[in-house]
This record gives sequence, C-alpha cells and structure tokens, in this order.
Amino acid sequence: MSARSRIYRALGLAVPALLLWTLGCAVAWPGEPGDEVREGDEVREGGSLYISQQCWQCHGYEGQGGVAGVRIARTALPYEAFARLVRFTNLMPAYSPKVLSDEQLRQIYDYVRSIPEPPPLEEIPELDFD
Amino acid sequence: MKPDKQPHPDPSEREEAARVNRRDFLSSAVAAGVAAAGAGAAANASARQAAGDAQEPGAMPPTAAQEAMESEIPDGYTAGQAREYFVRNPGSDFMLDVIRQLGLEYIATNPGSSFRGLQESIVNYGGNQAPELLTCVHEEQAAAMAHGYYKVGGKPMGVLCHGTVGLQHASMAVYNAWCDRAPMMLLAGNHLEATDRRAGVEWSHSAQDCVRVIRDYIKWDDMPLSLRHYAESMARGLKIAMTPPAGPVAVVLDGHLQEAEAGDRDLGPVAVTLNRPPTGDEAAVAEAARWLLEAESPVIVADLMARDQVGVERLVALAEALQAPVVNQFGRMNFPNTHHLSQGAAAVAQADVVLGLELFDVWGVINTVRDRVHRDSVRKARPDARVISIGSNDLFTKSNYQNFQRFYPSDLSIAGDAQATLPLLTDAALSGMTPARRASNAAREARWREVHSLARGQALDDARYGWNAVPVSTARLYAELWQVVKDRDWALVSDDGAQSRWARRLWPIERHYQYIGRSGGAGLGYGAPAAVGAALAHRPEGRFALNVQKDGDMMYTPGAFWTAAYHGIPLLTVTHNNQGYHQEYMHLQRMAARRQRGIESSWRVGNELRNPDIDLAGIARATGVWAEGPILDPADLGPALARAAEVVDGGEPAFVDVRCQPR
Repeated sequence: MSARSRIYRALGLAVPALLLWTLGCAVAWPGEPGDEVREGDEVREGGSLYISQQCWQCHGYEGQGGVAGVRIARTALPYEAFARLVRFTNLMPAYSPKVLSDEQLRQIYDYVRSIPEPPPLEEIPELDFD
Repeated sequence: MKPDKQPHPDPSEREEAARVNRRDFLSSAVAAGVAAAGAGAAANASARQAAGDAQEPGAMPPTAAQEAMESEIPDGYTAGQAREYFVRNPGSDFMLDVIRQLGLEYIATNPGSSFRGLQESIVNYGGNQAPELLTCVHEEQAAAMAHGYYKVGGKPMGVLCHGTVGLQHASMAVYNAWCDRAPMMLLAGNHLEATDRRAGVEWSHSAQDCVRVIRDYIKWDDMPLSLRHYAESMARGLKIAMTPPAGPVAVVLDGHLQEAEAGDRDLGPVAVTLNRPPTGDEAAVAEAARWLLEAESPVIVADLMARDQVGVERLVALAEALQAPVVNQFGRMNFPNTHHLSQGAAAVAQADVVLGLELFDVWGVINTVRDRVHRDSVRKARPDARVISIGSNDLFTKSNYQNFQRFYPSDLSIAGDAQATLPLLTDAALSGMTPARRASNAAREARWREVHSLARGQALDDARYGWNAVPVSTARLYAELWQVVKDRDWALVSDDGAQSRWARRLWPIERHYQYIGRSGGAGLGYGAPAAVGAALAHRPEGRFALNVQKDGDMMYTPGAFWTAAYHGIPLLTVTHNNQGYHQEYMHLQRMAARRQRGIESSWRVGNELRNPDIDLAGIARATGVWAEGPILDPADLGPALARAAEVVDGGEPAFVDVRCQPR
C-alpha cells in the first residue's frame, strides 16, 4: 500500500465526519468561541440589513440555512472568519465593501449571533421519528 | 405520398365478413410482452405471461346495436347513399385494437379534430375502457402526466394530440421526459393528403413533418401510410420506447386513415416482445468487481438507476457485499436512506474507486465548476480515484440538446443497463472476495454506521432552526407532512430539491415507489401534472400520494388539478409557496454582487410573484379541488393538513397553500 493510500485510508472516516463537524461547528455552536454578542441598536440594524441585503434568500429568514446556504443562525465563527467567508467565499456571491461596508457586515454578524436558540428536539414531537 | 386508401366495400355484400374479420384480429393477435408493458423484471414477467393473455379477446363483443349499425343499410337509404354517409368499419377502430393489444391503459389528451376518428373509436367502439381517455386542458399537462405515470407504474401512457399545435404545446414536457428517460407513446393527428383536407383550420393543423418540432428529444417516430404500417410502427415504437435508455416515441395518426373505411382485409396480428435490458460485458464486469474489491474506500453513486423495488434490492445486495457507501442522487429511489450505507455526496471525496450507476452527469460527480467570473473547474474526487461507469447513456443519445452533460473519460466504462448488470457484478464481487477482504467488512460497516448516525443527528438538529418561523420553514413543512403520511402507505410524487431535501433528510424512504425523482430537464410546469399522473398510477394500490408543489411551477400548469378532480384522482398537494422564482432571485443576487451594484432596491424585479399575491388555493378551488390556505402561521399547518388528508382518503384531490421560507 502506498503512502498516499494509507493517508486516504486514514481519512476514510475522517473526511465525512469532519465535513459534518465543520458544518455544525462553523455555523451554529452556541456557547463556543465566536465573538461577544452585542445587543441593542447594532443588532436591530443588523436584522434590517440581513433582510435588505438579501442574506435570507439563501440562509432563510432566521438564518436556519438549507440547500442554498449554510446555517448562520448563532454562528460560532469569530467575526474575522465570518467576514472573510463573505468577502472571499468559494460558494456564495462575494460581497465587496462597496456594496456592504465593514460596519454593515459587523452589524449583520451581530444579528445572526443573536438569533434565539430554537426549541430543543425534546420539545418538538414532530421531529420524533423513532 | 398518399395514404393507403381502402375501397369502400358494399355493406350489403360484406356484412358477415366484416364482423368476422375485425373480431378475428382481436382473437388472433399475439402480443407477447405487450399486454402489460412494464419495465425490467416486470416487463419480462409480463412477456412470459403474455402468450396466455393474448388468447383473451382484446375488446368487448359488439352489442346488437353496434352490429346493426355496422352491417345494415339504414332505413330509407340506398346502398350508394349509405356509402356516402356512413362508415361501417373505420380505420380508427383498428387503431384502437392495436392500442389495446399494446396494453396502453390510459391516453391523456386535449381533444382535437385531427384525431376525432380515434377519439370516437375510443369512447364508442372501445367504451372508454383500457384505454381510458384522460381529459387534459393542455398538451403539456398530458405529456407530463404520462411522465409521472411511468415513473410509478413502469408502463407508458399514450398522449393523443394534434400533430401541429398539440405537439408544440406538449414539447416542454416531452423534453423533460426525454432527459428523465421516461417513455411515452405520443400519438399525433395529422392530415397528410392535402386534397382531403377541409378548408381552414385543418390546413393550419397539418404539416409535412409534424414530429419535427420534438424530434431532437424523442427516440423514434414514424408516419404510417396504411393501417398495417400503423400497427407495426406502434409495436416498434413501444419496443424502442421501453428499451434502455427509455424515452418518448411518436407515431403520426393520419386523419384519413382514421376516418376512412378499413375494408375487410385481414390486417393480421400485431406482435412484439420487449427487449430484455442489456447487461454489461461479462469480462468488464469481472474487472469492475476486482477494482471494487481492491479498493480501500469504494463508493457507489446511483442516479437514474432503479426501475422498481428489484433494482433497490439489487443495489442493497452489492453495497452490503462490499460494505461500500451509496450516494443516492435520487433521480430515482435507488437505495433506502435508512440504511447505514446511505451516505451524502461528501463520501465521494475520500473514494479511491467510484462506481457510477446510470449517472445523469458522471463529470459532475467527480468535478465541479465554480460560479465565478472565470468558471474554473475543480476536482472534488481524489486525484488518484478511478471511476467505473455502468449505464445506458451511450447506447442512445442525440446531439442538439446538451442534456448529456460534460464528457468524462471513465477509467472503466461499461455500456449496459445498471439494474440488469448489478446481479452479475455482485456475484463477481462475492466470488472474488478473499477472507481478508471479507473480514474487513466489519470495520467498514462500523465506520459507515457512525457517519450515518452523525448525519441523521445533524439533520434533526438542523430541522429545529426556524421551527416557529413565519413564513413556515421547509423543515417544518416536511415534519408536519410526516405526521399526515407516517401511518399511511404513502408516496411522494414530487422532488424535494427546492425544499432543502427535507424529505430525504428526515423521512424514512425505503420503497421505490415512495420517491420518483426530478423533472429531468428542469423545465417548469412539470410538478402538478406529473404528480397527477403518478397519483393515478398509485390509485389502484390505494396509496396516499403527496405532491409538494412549487408556486412558480404551478402557475405553468394549474389545469392539471382540474384533471385530478374530473377523474377522481386522490392526491394531496401542498405548496412550497415562496412567492417568487427563487432560483432567479439568487442568480440576480450573484450577478449584482459580482458587479458590485448591490441589490437592495432591485431584487424583486422580474422574479417576485406578489403584489398582487396569487391566491393559489383559489386557483385550485376553481378547478374543483378542495382547497385551503394560504397558511401563514406554522401552528395552523398541522390541522389544515389533517383536514386535507381526510378529503384525499375519500378519493378526491385536496390542496393546501403554505407560505414558506425560500428554501
């Protein structure tokens, strides 16, 4: 077995698992690092920008995500990482400062960080598939 | 060219012979493999039974009134007058006999004069039974109904339409079916003989080559010039349509042939045996098995593969033999999503051997194109991954429309029907499996069980987000729908791709009939009529058919709901009503961002379906369907769905409009 094959074999489980973990961790890991959640006017303004800048088109009105865009509600990413994904993304349209200033981006970040935690699974009987 | 006109016989001289000859056709016809033209294993079983079935008459015996009409000169008429006014044995009766012999149970149609002869034969001579006419309000809906019907029933439907205006209306739905490998028999009325045409519309509705408008995306067509020619072309057309890769065919029904006296000639039987689906080359299959056994991380990707539950079970057998994950692209329901080997597309990234089964897009499994200013392609698979492709794509294709996708030079390419080839491949894998390889299966199984469990947990966790959102989240839509269907024998007759694939992520989908894939060509207008056609095929089984209907798609073909109401086809339709052409919102957004112009004030232009809001429930109600909505509050959704389900349980269609999140 070549060295390359050994590496890929080791990655056999790791890659899909890592992808799942990254998705979950990057977009919603309440209580994990992220930046401090700001409140008040910044959040309200961020909510307005979230709508007017059409973030909801792919990420949903509550940042829940879906096939068109990942979940960003309560993102655990630090602001710098979040901003980099908006400016230099692989998937979503790249928003330059010309159409979305740094301040506006920060306000949107504050808003998605502040989106309330959804009900726990135990409180949603419709999601009990057992 | 001129149609093969038959001399008008003298009724007084031929009455006895006429009775014998036409009925003789029915009793002597041998239609092996046609009476129940199912696909794959079902078709083969039908072929075995057909010799026996064919001994049965293909039509009800004529009534005394019918015989009198056919054999006697009406009171007050001379023989010459009778020849001028009456036809004793119209060609379209024979045409109907052939259709019956081919086993077409339904013919979807929007009525037209170019096939008035056959329409009369179906409703009077045939009593509108097997085939039964399905009244549609647009030919696009008729063809899309046939599309959906095939994917559930495994049998083609006839689509009867004008050769000119009808085929032009039908063309979009025919293209979807072509891309989705769904066979149908298009029957196109036309008047080729110019001097026989009535003035005016009959000229506008005739063409030298009426099938030309759809020829780029059907498998075969013919314009028969005699009744015998017609019979053979119908049989040939059915055989071609059902041979993998399956697809639509068209036969032109000449107006004169339909309406003129068929005469007393014995037109002979029509016989056809459907092709057995081709299997891949034995040596190549053995080589594929070796590659898969030697692989550290083989992955199976299946798209337009399973024709029925047999195909699903064959894929389960192969996957379990190898403990190889299956990425179901859900062009068809290929693999149970509850199985631990059912995995997401990310599994391809770590594969050293990828086995593609009837892939719509082999290149797209291995690579992707980034939607940037420069559309560079990126390989998603490992650079050293080898690709085995088994499929029927290369056995028949055409050049103009580009649905064949980008070329990919598979390392081992096997031309053949994947479902038919799977048993050979599984046998080869099992016989070549070493003890060490077999022993490794336990670890492989444990690995994939863990990943499957993680993905399941992730899906449930994701579904919580936006649970109480207004408009309703698509996850909640499917969670509430599950409460309706979970205790019923259900079948989803729509694609959940635009709803973030929540059916596939949340619901246990284990039977082939529970999911019928996508439209094929992504041409809007597919949803409602295809769902009605699929629901029709589910009706004899008593299944609860559910259609999650996109609003933009619905506005193309809402008349399909009238057909469901008129024919009593039980179907629950629930809208994913995001009040716009949402895909195009996102495209506009991408363009605006790329050009740094912003989109705050322009996003609605050209895309929104509001101001005024469309009363989708009102539209459904106007077609005779029980309807409710729009539902805005998610708390109102469950009770509304329960009320609608009661209507469907009673054998009627029902409709609930739900305002939803975009995706």
